[in-house]
Amino acid sequence: MAILEISNLHASYSVTGPEILKDISFTVEDDDFFAIIGPSGAGKSTLIRCINRLVEPSKGEIIFDGRNVTKLPKRELRTLRRDIGVIFQEFNLIERMSVMDNVLSGRLGYTSNLRTLFRAFPRKDIDHGLQLLDRVGLIEFVDKRADELSGGQRQRVGIARALMQNPKMLLLDEPTSALDPKISREIMGLIKQMATELKVPCLCNIHDVQLAMEFCNKIIGLQDGYMKFYGPTEEMNKEKLDDIYAMEVL
Amino acid sequence: MSDMHDDDAIAPRITSDIILERRRKSRYFQGCVYLVLGALVVWSIQVTIIEDTDWERMGSVAQVLESANRFFGIDYALFKDLLVPTIETFMIACLGTLLGVIICIPAAWFGAKNITPFKPITYPIARMMMTISRSIHEIVWALFFVAVVGLGALPGIFALAVRSVGFIAKMSAEAIEDIDPGPVEAIRSVGGSNFQILLYAILPQIWPQVIGVIIFEWEINIRRSAILGLVGAGGLGLVFFRQMNTFNYHGVMTVIIAVFGLIVIGEVVSHRIRRSLI
Amino acid sequence: MLSKDTSNTVPIAWSRYKFPGSLIRYGAWLSAFVFLVYSIEYLNIPLDRLLGMFGRMGDTIANRYYPPDIEYIMDAEYFEYVVETIQMAYLGALFGLAMTVPLGWFASYNMTPSRRFVYPIARLITMGCRAVHEMIWAILFVSILGFGMLAGVLALTFFCTGFAGKLLAEEIEAIDMGPVDAIRSTGANLFQTMIFGVFPQIRVAFTGIAIYTWDVAFRAATVVGFFGAGGMGWYLKRNVMQIETERVAAILISILILVMISETVSAWARNKAMKMK
Repeated sequence: MAILEISNLHASYSVTGPEILKDISFTVEDDDFFAIIGPSGAGKSTLIRCINRLVEPSKGEIIFDGRNVTKLPKRELRTLRRDIGVIFQEFNLIERMSVMDNVLSGRLGYTSNLRTLFRAFPRKDIDHGLQLLDRVGLIEFVDKRADELSGGQRQRVGIARALMQNPKMLLLDEPTSALDPKISREIMGLIKQMATELKVPCLCNIHDVQLAMEFCNKIIGLQDGYMKFYGPTEEMNKEKLDDIYAMEVL
Repeated sequence: MSDMHDDDAIAPRITSDIILERRRKSRYFQGCVYLVLGALVVWSIQVTIIEDTDWERMGSVAQVLESANRFFGIDYALFKDLLVPTIETFMIACLGTLLGVIICIPAAWFGAKNITPFKPITYPIARMMMTISRSIHEIVWALFFVAVVGLGALPGIFALAVRSVGFIAKMSAEAIEDIDPGPVEAIRSVGGSNFQILLYAILPQIWPQVIGVIIFEWEINIRRSAILGLVGAGGLGLVFFRQMNTFNYHGVMTVIIAVFGLIVIGEVVSHRIRRSLI
Repeated sequence: MLSKDTSNTVPIAWSRYKFPGSLIRYGAWLSAFVFLVYSIEYLNIPLDRLLGMFGRMGDTIANRYYPPDIEYIMDAEYFEYVVETIQMAYLGALFGLAMTVPLGWFASYNMTPSRRFVYPIARLITMGCRAVHEMIWAILFVSILGFGMLAGVLALTFFCTGFAGKLLAEEIEAIDMGPVDAIRSTGANLFQTMIFGVFPQIRVAFTGIAIYTWDVAFRAATVVGFFGAGGMGWYLKRNVMQIETERVAAILISILILVMISETVSAWARNKAMKMK
């Protein structure tokens, strides 16, 4: 069953501004590791942000897990976002808080206001958090402040945080652009491993085409807001890539 | 699961129990601190407000609201008498700021570590001047100057000037201390005198910041100028004083509105000037 | 000698003065200057007697204000007033900060719950509180609630809310929105986003604002008594009315000393806060 169906999606940042996304349509299946590639400014980030409505789409439909995202009232956005984990390019950790608190913040969608004020997360959340930290290899860093970590380590915390939500899908917004090539590969590998283990489909916005072709099974190519390619990775070749990037890339 | 280090068997592992215990203890400690502070606050409220207030004279909430209601209304007849004091208040603010800026020139010069002429003496003097200027409330300065030069606009101007020096000189001195020494070297190498260095290398770097600070303090001085009249230093404050004394509450409200008007003018002008700087 | 003949390619003569930019600028300066000169005339400021005044100032101070009547302020009752002034100051600062926390949040453009209603109202409230001078607040409250410290504390509260609210709103508007996006993506509501995404980022700045608020509140608290709102200012008024200038001098000195102590304490607190960053 498809976890995500996008139909005729249009988006712009302001009502009078230029259209960033033009008529995008694709489907993400339960076991996909989907890549979105394209040159800078093609609208990749906007597309990711439309799915959990950090950016409001102007036209079209997004159906996630059978729910119509675009028509969802604001109150129910919370329940929607709980089910989607996001990993960011700039990691977006709470710099001054500890690694543990950062990971636990993934459960905020399930926590009451009072508990949030006193940071009193239930035991099972703490158990889960420790388990995830162990899995990403950061168990010794539990009490360290987030700004004491290196880039790769921070992204691991980001991965743990996203998975704390027990999400039905993961969105990745250029998760490795801020990391050096060797660490990038490690992180992508870790994400793919854990996503496969936990059976979570991923939709990934990637700048590095090689990484995309290596780890992902389906690709969308965006150029200037238009969808120029949509299909399994095997069908991608140099010509199609040049078409998307309008220049030599590999 | 990833198979990690073998020395986990030796080193104690972090478990949920440890974390929960730690959090509980930290919350308990925080709770105690807040309790003590809370007790302090309650005691203060008791001593200052509860015991000190003449509750009978104040009456019930309804009576208090009625007292407050007396102010809601405008005395239209007063408007024509407000024009002159308003202009006076505005002028006092402008001249006071100007005088303050003039005094700031030596004050900031002495107060900047990199250009002060004789650091062990001039720097502490300047810093002390700035602190004294900022620590004493403008009303106190006004009282002082009224006693020394008499009533009228002049003590108000002096009071504002002396009060503003602290902030403007402090910010300017900090701006001077933060400048890029490059241009200073450059002008010195072409053979420029100290004055030329000041004009070409230092001033252009700090100019936007200094103007920003002056405009900021000027706006605040408009507020201050309005009330200095309460202690005899001219302007709207005097009108306010008279209206209060004759229990003309609507008049009081009218004066407050006039002050608001001045402040709005101040905000608009300062906004314009800031924009033109950028 | 230049190898190329540039006489045909050099475009326009350069001039320092540009039209209309320079005209407007010099025009503005000129009108400001004219206005100031006119003000001096309008307010009847005797420029010629000004220098003489400085000499007279020295005389007046030496004769009437010196020696300051220190015994007068060493009195136990005065000390009580001093303690009350301190209590008024920190209660005012405390309540003011308590009101500032929600107000500053609502008045920040990026994190306000509603940009159409809550934001403008919150901005209006902070501007209103700031526009009214603390002494006017004091007089108003004394008139409504009678003499005493209740008026003083309320006046200080409203005063502090004004400027602390503006400072806090500006701090919140300057944060990095990345972590805020991240927390919102987990399904957190606005309150949780504030606690996890915003507060950690502004914590240090907020401490600075709190310390600054205390400084200003204390400075104002020493004087609100002048208008009947409690504290040592009342002593000041009594002695000014009775022209007991030596006692006034002593009271002013005590105010100066107290404010200096307070400033030292807050400078220390600010240093500690910087280090704990």
